[in-house]
Amino acid sequence: MSGAEQSARDAILSAVRAARPPVVLRGESVTSAARMLGALGTSLVDAFTGAAIASGASVTVCSRDEVGRVIEGAVAGARSVLSFADGIPSHHAPTGDLHDLADLDALVCEPELGVAENGAVWIASSSDRLRAALFLAARVVVVVQENDLVADLHAAYARIDVTAHPFGAFVAGPSKTADIEQSLVIGAHGPKALAIVVVRA
Amino acid sequence: MTQRSFELPVVGAGKRVDHAAAAEAFNADVARTDWHDASLWFVREKRDRAASAVPDWEALRERASTIKEHALTHLDVYLMQFEENATRNGMQVHWARDADEHNRIVHRILAAADARKLVKSKSMLTEECGLNPYLEERGIEVVDTDLGERIVQLRGEGPSHIVMPAIHLRKEEVGETFHDKLGTPAGMADPNALAGAAREHLRKRFLAADCTLTGINFAIAETGGFVVCTNEGNADLGMALAPIHIASVGIEKIIPRVEDLGVFLRLLARSATGQAVTAYSTHIHGPRPGQALHVVLVDNGRTRQLAREEFWRSLKCIRCGACMNTCPIYRRSGGHSYGSTVPGPIGSVLTPGLDLDRYASLPFASTLCGSCTAVCPVKIDLDAQLFRWRQHVVESGKVSLVKQVAIGGSTAVLDRPRLFRVAGALVRFGLRLLPEPLARRAAGAWGRTREAPVPPRESFRAWYRKHRGGST
Repeated sequence: MSGAEQSARDAILSAVRAARPPVVLRGESVTSAARMLGALGTSLVDAFTGAAIASGASVTVCSRDEVGRVIEGAVAGARSVLSFADGIPSHHAPTGDLHDLADLDALVCEPELGVAENGAVWIASSSDRLRAALFLAARVVVVVQENDLVADLHAAYARIDVTAHPFGAFVAGPSKTADIEQSLVIGAHGPKALAIVVVRA
Repeated sequence: MTQRSFELPVVGAGKRVDHAAAAEAFNADVARTDWHDASLWFVREKRDRAASAVPDWEALRERASTIKEHALTHLDVYLMQFEENATRNGMQVHWARDADEHNRIVHRILAAADARKLVKSKSMLTEECGLNPYLEERGIEVVDTDLGERIVQLRGEGPSHIVMPAIHLRKEEVGETFHDKLGTPAGMADPNALAGAAREHLRKRFLAADCTLTGINFAIAETGGFVVCTNEGNADLGMALAPIHIASVGIEKIIPRVEDLGVFLRLLARSATGQAVTAYSTHIHGPRPGQALHVVLVDNGRTRQLAREEFWRSLKCIRCGACMNTCPIYRRSGGHSYGSTVPGPIGSVLTPGLDLDRYASLPFASTLCGSCTAVCPVKIDLDAQLFRWRQHVVESGKVSLVKQVAIGGSTAVLDRPRLFRVAGALVRFGLRLLPEPLARRAAGAWGRTREAPVPPRESFRAWYRKHRGGST
C-alpha cells in the first residue's frame, strides 16, 4: 500500500468511526429450512427438479446403474468433453492454456450439493480448467446425489466451506439475459444448456 | 431515430438536474411511456410471485435489515477484518476516499502491468466514479460486457436502471445500434439474434482481455472473500480468464458472516427480477494461480451519508432495483430523467447526499405512496427519507420561487382557520365562474391532465354543522 493509500485508509476508518450511528446488535440467526421444505410441500428431489427446470436447466432423475448411460446421452454429439466426474472420460487434448477451452462442447462435473428452493448446485474447485470450462463450454452436465440435496440456502451454507477453494459458485440454470425488452435469451455469454442428473439414493 | 447522448453524472460538476422537465420530455411520447411503465410493472409482478412463495419472507427482510444495520454500526471493525482476511487470501486491498482516488488506483494497476484491454462486468460504483471516460482518455480500451451495459455504452448513454441498464430501449433501437457499431444486418430486431451477435462480439474481447473489473455484491468480513451475482456469466468469464482482476466495492457492501449470505441471496434475485436466485452467485476467496487480484474499497460520500442520522439507513441498500420497478414516477419518467447514476427512490435518497444543490429536484420525484418501502428487501424507509430530504431542500431555499411562494401561501392559509374558510369560499365561488380551461390552468401541473372538479355548494364544515349539529 502506498503512502497516499495508507492515509486514505486512515481517513476512511476515522470518518467511519466519527459517523458511527448508535450500535445495533446482530440478533439471532435464521434457520428456516424446515419451514421452506413445508412450503415446498413435496420431496426435496421434486422441489429441486421443479426449481431447476424453472431456472432453465433440464433434469433427469435416475438410479446409480443408469448414470453412465444418462451422461452419455447428455454429451451425445459433443466433439470435445472435459470431465471431472468419476468414470466419465474426457475427450479433450489440453495444451495448458485456458484459452484452448474456448470451443469446448461439454463439461461434466459433480457439484457438492443442490438446493431445493432455487434449483442451484454448488460447484467449488481449485482447478483453473474446471472453472474456465464452467463458463466457456457450450453445455454443462452436472451429476448430483439425491442425498446431497438441501432445502434452502441457509442449509446449504451450513454444509459448505466457502473458503475451501478460491472459487465456488451456486449455479442455477444456463447463462441467460433479459436485457433486450425483457425477452429471456438462454446462453448469454456462458453455457447454452445445463443438464442436471440426480442420482437416486 | 436520433441518438441520445447522456451526460455521465460526475459528482460536483455540471448543472442542476431538473427531474420534472426531463420527465415531461419523456412523457411526450405517450405510447413509449405506457410501454416503459408496463415493462417495469411486469418485473414488479414477477417479484411479488417470487416473494409470496417464500413463507418467511417478512422475517427474512427483518433479518436482512438487522444484519445490515449491525454491519453499518460496526463498519470500521468489519472493514479491518475484511482487509486482514482478504490479504491473507492473497488479495491486494486498496482504499479510495473518492471517485478520483478510485480511478487513479485502477489506472495505476493497469499501467504497472501495461494492460490495455479491460473487460468490465456490471459495476454501478464505476459508473458513479466516471471510470470509463477516465481510462479511455488514458488509452485503455474499456468494454462493458453485461449485455444491457454494452448496448448503452455503444450508444454513448449511461444505464437507465441498476439491474436492467437498457430497459428504456426498444429491440429495434438495439438492432440499429448493433447495425451501426457491430455490423449486424440492418433491421435485426429479434432478441435471440441480437444477444447472439453480442455474445460473439464479446467472447473475443473476453479471450483477449489483459484485465477484468467487476463490482461486488457482498464482501464477507469473516472470510475475506466476496460474492458477485450475474445471470449472464460475464463477470465469471472475465474472472476465470484475465490475468488481473480488479474488484471495486463501496464500503457499505461489507457483511459480517458467510451465513448472512443465506439471507441476502434469498432476497436479492427474488426482489430484483423474480428469479429464485441468479444463474451465477460466485464466491471468490483468492486469486487463481498467477493471477493478481485487487479489491478497491471506496468511500465517495458514504461516510458522509453514514453520519446523517436521518439517512444512514439508505446505506443498507443491496441494489436490487425493486424500488424502481414499483415506483409510479420512475416507471413513467425513465431512469435518465434522474440525471443520477442510481435512479428511482433509492437514487433520490442517496444522490442528494452527494450534492444537494445539484440534485434538489430528486426528492420531489415521488408521490410518497410508499410502495418502494413496502418492497425493499432490507426495509429502508424510502418514502420517509424522501420526505425528510424535501424538508432540507425547502429549508435551504433550494426550491423554485414559485414553489416557495406557494408553500408560504399554503402555510399562511392552513395556519389560520378563518382565512382558510374565506379561501375555501373564494375557490368554490371562483370554480363556478371561471371557464374550465382557466380553472385547470390555475391548478398548475395538476390541472394539465385532469378536469377541474365540480365545486360543492358548501364547505364540509358547513355540511357537518348542518347534518351532525356539533360545533366545530
